[in-house]
This record gives sequence, structure tokens and C-alpha cells, in this order.
Amino acid sequence: MKHIETTRQTMPTTQAQPAHEDMLALNLSALIDGELPDNLANQTLKRIGNDAVAQAHIADFLTIGDAMRGLSTPPGDFTDRVMLALKNEPVILAPMHKASNRRPVLWLAAAAMTAITWGLWQSSPNHDVNVPLAALKPADTQSAQRNTDSLPYLAAHQDFTQAVVSAPEMHFSNASLEIRQ
Amino acid sequence: MMLRRKFLSIAGAIAGIFLAPPLTAAELLSPADAANWLQKISDASRRMAYEGVFVVQHGSAMQTLSVTNRPTGSTKDSHLSALDGNQREIRCTQSGSLLRVTEGGQVKTEKRLNNRHFPDLLPPNAAALANWYSVKLGEWARIAGLECRQVEIVPKDAYRWGYVICADKDSSLPLKAVMINEAGTPLMQYAFAEIRIGGSPKAETQTSLDTWRMPAQAATTRPIGTETISVSHLPPGFSRVAAVRRTLPNPSGGLRKPGEVEHWVFSDGLTYISLFLEPATHPISSVRGQSKQGMINMVTRQVGPMQATILGDAPWATIEAVATGLETRSDSPDLRGAAK
Repeated sequence: MKHIETTRQTMPTTQAQPAHEDMLALNLSALIDGELPDNLANQTLKRIGNDAVAQAHIADFLTIGDAMRGLSTPPGDFTDRVMLALKNEPVILAPMHKASNRRPVLWLAAAAMTAITWGLWQSSPNHDVNVPLAALKPADTQSAQRNTDSLPYLAAHQDFTQAVVSAPEMHFSNASLEIRQ
Repeated sequence: MMLRRKFLSIAGAIAGIFLAPPLTAAELLSPADAANWLQKISDASRRMAYEGVFVVQHGSAMQTLSVTNRPTGSTKDSHLSALDGNQREIRCTQSGSLLRVTEGGQVKTEKRLNNRHFPDLLPPNAAALANWYSVKLGEWARIAGLECRQVEIVPKDAYRWGYVICADKDSSLPLKAVMINEAGTPLMQYAFAEIRIGGSPKAETQTSLDTWRMPAQAATTRPIGTETISVSHLPPGFSRVAAVRRTLPNPSGGLRKPGEVEHWVFSDGLTYISLFLEPATHPISSVRGQSKQGMINMVTRQVGPMQATILGDAPWATIEAVATGLETRSDSPDLRGAAK
């Protein structure tokens, strides 16, 4: 899902058949862009639900798209991942095939999938934004650790609040502070 | 039977918290009147004798506490006790404030640096708050069987959150307080379920008072030494009200090694921000935290050789302003040592 002008052929016939995973990535990218034929879109959507590799791919594509639109702070390895994605993106100098008979249900399905993926992201601790879904498990452990680490500070601060209540659960994200020198 | 009555009255108060009518057509007070109202409410919570049970609600959590207050001159002698969950009690006297927690058969006593608790939320010099908050008089309401007037304390800028206090018609004692964010969403609420104002609250027995004796080794604070960090700017109205070296409590029983930190506190009288300074053991990236209900904001960053953790029941703008205002002192002994 690049914003660089390229043309994409979803079902190449004259080229050598791409590797299995490359084809999956191509289909996912085309799905997000609404450029996948209906039958292939349905297959791909079903696969996303059951395939961790597909989930990781779609998370990557959404991350890259969001970062390019300036919607979020990219993770540390962002540049490497973008360069890899660009390298793997086939550029075919031919008119792009447009599916002419798209049904609205495909758009709804794609939008729903995107919304679900986005929802999963949002419901996870904030610092996991931009991390592929497959990588969420270890990040949750980090979040729990940060919660534990913050408890002594919260307890000490309670001296100055009206609290007799226990420390609340915290969510963490990376912060960008503009420091005046 | 007594317990049942208490439960019913508490349930009534909880219902009152959620069913309170929205404020309408509140009357904005002049700065002088605002200062008078704030001072009246502040004085009442310290100078009145009262005892009762109140409910605290924040997010989905709720807690019930009993409170007793006996005025002693210009200060107070108060005793709070959590009625549910772990046994937690707070005793505030002229000589300080102690927290006693009973957990797993063990009793732990800690010294608190402050003695602020509901209904005593406003500072002794509450009139000064009128510089940073507007005050509006709202409608009459009824809390714990008493008539009270809603008093809105509205921040004049984005560096603090507001309160809606319901002050008893006769005594001005806050019977209910709601902390609200900039969108008017309640973040934390307190309300008396039952209260008796005036009279002589039942005195504690000598045995009971003896249990509050502080173990000598429990004194966990001392003055800070040479300061390595300074704050170049603070949000308007905030000043440093405390700076001590202390050992952090470790409520989680986690892996954190006990170590001393510097604990600075900044306040405008109503909003409190804590800054914790300790040597940075590894490079720190800025991390932002927020409580589930958005009530507490927190940030950790590195300032020179120190790790700074800033947190408070305040908007992010306030926490960020304090965090970005931190800088290493040019005359810091640490830096001089590093330059050699």
C-alpha cells in the first residue's frame, strides 16, 4: 500500500509465478487498495482470519500506510521495513487491470477487516501501535512490566492526592517531547 | 440490621452519584465572591467536627470509607478507614499523616507526606485558587439527606482539571466532590452516604491510639542535598511545595530494588504533580503513561545523568510542561565531576 505511483498486476500471466508468500503479500496489498477481484478477495479475507503470516503482512501494510500519512510514530525498524516492502513490490510497466464488476459487499468486507484490524490495534496498549499483530504477545509483557514499574511512583504520589484508593492500571506509549534548550 | 441500613444508605448515595441532575445555568461569581466561597468550603472541612461514611468512585472502581474529624485549633485530627478490600487506615494529626495497611496478617505503617483527603480537598489558603479557577454557583441538591449547593470550580486554562463540589447548606462542608476533565467527563467522585456534622465524634481509646505509634525505622524521608536538576518553567500558578529524599513504597512486591529517589511536588493548591529523580542506570527513552480512566498522566525521560518520572492527576499539558521544563544545572556537582 504505497503512495508512490506504480501499477500492479494482481494475477501475472507473463511473468514467472511469484513465490507463495509474495503472492499472499500482493493479494493483501491489493485487497487493502480495493483492487482485488471478488473471488480472490473472499479467499484472502478468509485466510486473514486463520493465518498469522497474513495478519502480520496486513499489519505491516497498514503501519506503512499510516506512517506515510503521518498518523503515527513509526517504530525503530520502520525504514528497513519500508525499503524491504519497496524492494519486493513488483513494478510492471503495463496498464493496471481494473476489476470492473466490483460488488459493494467486497468494499464492506475490506472496510470491516480494516476496521477490525485497526480496532485490535487500538485496544492493545498504545506502545504496541505500529507493531505487527503477530508481535503483540511479547509487547503485552512489556506493558505489564511497565505497569509494575510505575506502581511505586503512583503509590508515592498518593500522598498528595485525595486517595485511599489503589493505583490505577496504566497504559504506556512512546512520548515525543519538544525540549526547549 | 445496622449493617443493612448502612448498605442501603450507601447504595442510595451511589445511585445519587450516577443520577445527579446535570448542572444548568450556573451563576458565575466575581473573583472576590469566588475566593469567599472557596475559603468557606476549605475552612469547613478542617474546622467542623463530623463523622460519616463516603463512597469514592473512579472508572469502574468503587471504595467505601469511614471518616471521623475532630478539629484541633487551626488543624485537624482525622481518621479514615477503608470499609472494603484490604484494611487501610489513614490518621492525620498535627504531627503528620500515617498510613496503616493490614495485609496477610501483617501490619505495615508508612508516613505520608501530606494529609489531604475528602472532604478536605481545598488548601488552607483556598482564596488564592480564584486566580486560576472561576467559581460558579449551581443548583441545590440533596446528598446523604442534607441540602447542599453545587459549586463549580472551573479551570481558567488547560493546565488543570475542574471540580464540582456540593457544599452543605448550613456548614459549607463538601458532601460530594466530582473531579472533571476538560470535556466535563467525571474522572473521580466522592459522596457521603451518611454523615453527622457537629457534636463530639466518638473518641478513640488509648489502645487504639497506641497502635498508631510510628516505628523509629519507618521515617523514610530526609531533605534533598545538592540539586542536580532545575525546572526552567512551570505551568502558571504552580510552585514547588515539597522536595524530599525518600524510599519508594513497593506495593506490588515486584523486582524493583529499594532505592532512594528525590520526590519533588508542584501544586497550584488543588492539582498536585510529582517529580521523581533518580540516577539513570541505562539510556531512557521518553515514555508516556495514562491511567485507564485518563485520570493520571505520567511521563518518564532522561535529564542529564538522571531519570525523571513526572506524574499527577492533571491534564497531559501540565505533565508535559513540567517534563520539558527540566534541565541539568550548569553548576551541578555531577556535571563538574564529569567534565574533569
